Amino acid sequence: MNKKIVSGLAIAAATTLALGVVASAPANAAAKKSVTLAFQGPLTGGDAQLGQDQIPGAIYAIALYNAKNPAVKVELIKADSQCDGTVAANIAPGVAANKAVIGVIGTSCSGEARNSFPAYRAAGLTMIAPSASAVSLTDPKAPDRGFPIFHRVVAHDGFQAPALARYAAKGVTAPKFYVIDDMTTYGGPLAKGALPQAKKLGTVVGTDSVAKGTADYTSVASKVKASGANVVIYGGYTTDAAKLFKALRDGGYTGILASGDGTNTSDFPGLAGKAAEGVRLTAADVPFDKILTPAQLAEFTKITGVKVPGLYSTTAFNATNIFLDCISQGKLTRSAIQLCVNSGSFKGVGGDVIKFNRYGDIIGGAPVGGYLVKNGVIVYDSVA
Amino acid sequence: MWPLSFGGVATLHNTLHLNRSVDMNFSVITSQFWSLALQGLALGLIYALVSLGYTMVYGVLRLINFANSEVFMFGTFATLYIEVHFLGYDIGAPSLHGFKLVYTLAFALLASMLACAILAIIVELVAYRRLRARGANRLASLISAIGVSIFLLEGMRIITISRPMTTPRLLDKWSFGEFHGANFRIDTVMTIVAPIIIFVVLDQFVNRSRLGKSIRAVSMSEENSKLMGININRVITLTFCIGGLTTGAAAFLYTTVYENTIFNVGFNMGIAAFTAAVLGGIGNLRGAFYGGIALGMLEQFASAMLGSQWKAVTVFTVLVAVLLFKPNGLFGEAVQQTRT
Repeated sequence: MNKKIVSGLAIAAATTLALGVVASAPANAAAKKSVTLAFQGPLTGGDAQLGQDQIPGAIYAIALYNAKNPAVKVELIKADSQCDGTVAANIAPGVAANKAVIGVIGTSCSGEARNSFPAYRAAGLTMIAPSASAVSLTDPKAPDRGFPIFHRVVAHDGFQAPALARYAAKGVTAPKFYVIDDMTTYGGPLAKGALPQAKKLGTVVGTDSVAKGTADYTSVASKVKASGANVVIYGGYTTDAAKLFKALRDGGYTGILASGDGTNTSDFPGLAGKAAEGVRLTAADVPFDKILTPAQLAEFTKITGVKVPGLYSTTAFNATNIFLDCISQGKLTRSAIQLCVNSGSFKGVGGDVIKFNRYGDIIGGAPVGGYLVKNGVIVYDSVA
Repeated sequence: MWPLSFGGVATLHNTLHLNRSVDMNFSVITSQFWSLALQGLALGLIYALVSLGYTMVYGVLRLINFANSEVFMFGTFATLYIEVHFLGYDIGAPSLHGFKLVYTLAFALLASMLACAILAIIVELVAYRRLRARGANRLASLISAIGVSIFLLEGMRIITISRPMTTPRLLDKWSFGEFHGANFRIDTVMTIVAPIIIFVVLDQFVNRSRLGKSIRAVSMSEENSKLMGININRVITLTFCIGGLTTGAAAFLYTTVYENTIFNVGFNMGIAAFTAAVLGGIGNLRGAFYGGIALGMLEQFASAMLGSQWKAVTVFTVLVAVLLFKPNGLFGEAVQQTRT
């Protein structure tokens, strides 16, 4: 090869390298002025309302933070998991590969959390979930635990499951429980976790597991009616709960219907129709509109376009604020964020102190609320 | 009721932290027999109607119409569109009565059937005819049908942003009465009577009419049918059209009974209907009918006796067992004589 060409190429390569380094320096500096958080949850699909109810909490928290003109602004990106573990396993590597993302607000569902762990663990990306409540996610002995990247600002189903049984049987003398689950990471353990409390309160006359996505629940309705049950507890998500409860009411069942936070979404009454009336629901959440002042609520509506905050807006707001606290302390890398979240002490919107144990649960747990469907709307009733 | 845990299975459960023991409850056979049989019949006849879309096409083309599940999905959305957007009944609309109820449901039924028939014909034109005319490999048609199926599925996913949708309860679910615990609700009765009428009419059409005879002729021998002057393309289009009409009727019944739909509603229904067709003997009209009923019954009794989690396992165990002894399905032997 011609010597002139060789030396020309060498000069060009050296120049490119030098310019590249120089060019990357301001790019890094610019990156420090803006970091990104990702929200992961169902934004479309049968369980979309769960994520759609939560994301305004994150948007509101980030808007309040950015409005203070901080040195480092925060952006939010959305990762739609459809509450589906398979979808989550496909999108999580994409989020992890985005170097701008330093934390994940999510996941909403437990199954998707488990399938996202490998990608986020490998990338050292910290997760704070507003509603993923399956016990195994923070169980040190469980193979699908999320240690050390997973955290959640919601009480796990070890708290919610007995509360669900208590709230379902509230005011019922000699309750006869029929417990059904949807065979998912979330629904199965929730229903199973409710059984010991149900046995303490009354008798369990039957159990069944019906795969999520089943169309026909008539055989279940027949079994429930024949069992003489007067309290039905369902561990599962909104779409299937609506189908099951409709089948039960159409099949002549007149007792109490109850379900957990997977069903406690604002689209449930519309999907279940008349069968939704009187349904008892639980959630480890305090309604956001009960915490905010009228002025704050008006501000929330102005920013998010949502008039009435949905379920787990509060926990999504808290989860986002934990990241924002760390960012305002100058923690701008994934490893710094992880250290900050693992060891820090944070203030919740309700004035509570949030501190995580080694495996990602809030130390001290959180209260579980009881909700009722009245006139087509889910309303907060009392502590479950 | 008594729990029956198998050693190996129980060990696996413990290892995987699962709780899926088999609770065998044979008492339901006596206590809920009529109730489960009635529900199984109603569910099975919906399967049977959809399975016609598979079995008729297989009869004339010897190919599985994989897009039929999406034709069903399209029918459920057509019913929803007619009731909610065209006729203007919103979700909270009160139930209808008398003549208004009859003509509203009849209109929705016909609209769903028509929409599905048109879509089925389009599927035939796009996925089958052109490839057939060019002498393409049979697998090419199979793949093109899967392609059309995915196109329809994903198209509806985008349009509906994957959200489930509900239909108004236009048909109040009143009951004619009970028989040994079996509740003869209006929607259950309608789901049994309508498919039986459709099957009788279709059976007569295929066996007695000139067009029906031409369908049977093509299913027996395409070459000989051509020599006899039968227009093969017309017969194939007619077959898709009939499959679309019955699938559309099934979609209407499904939407009326369950009052909901979602973009992927056809997936499970397609598997069930295809299973029913294979169980009865694919390519056989009466096989689809009895295969659908058998599947519906099997699902209901398996769910009640073993628990719903064992439904699919039981169904496919029985299917494999049947095929081991009767490889052409329950009515396979009669295929050469009565194929559609």
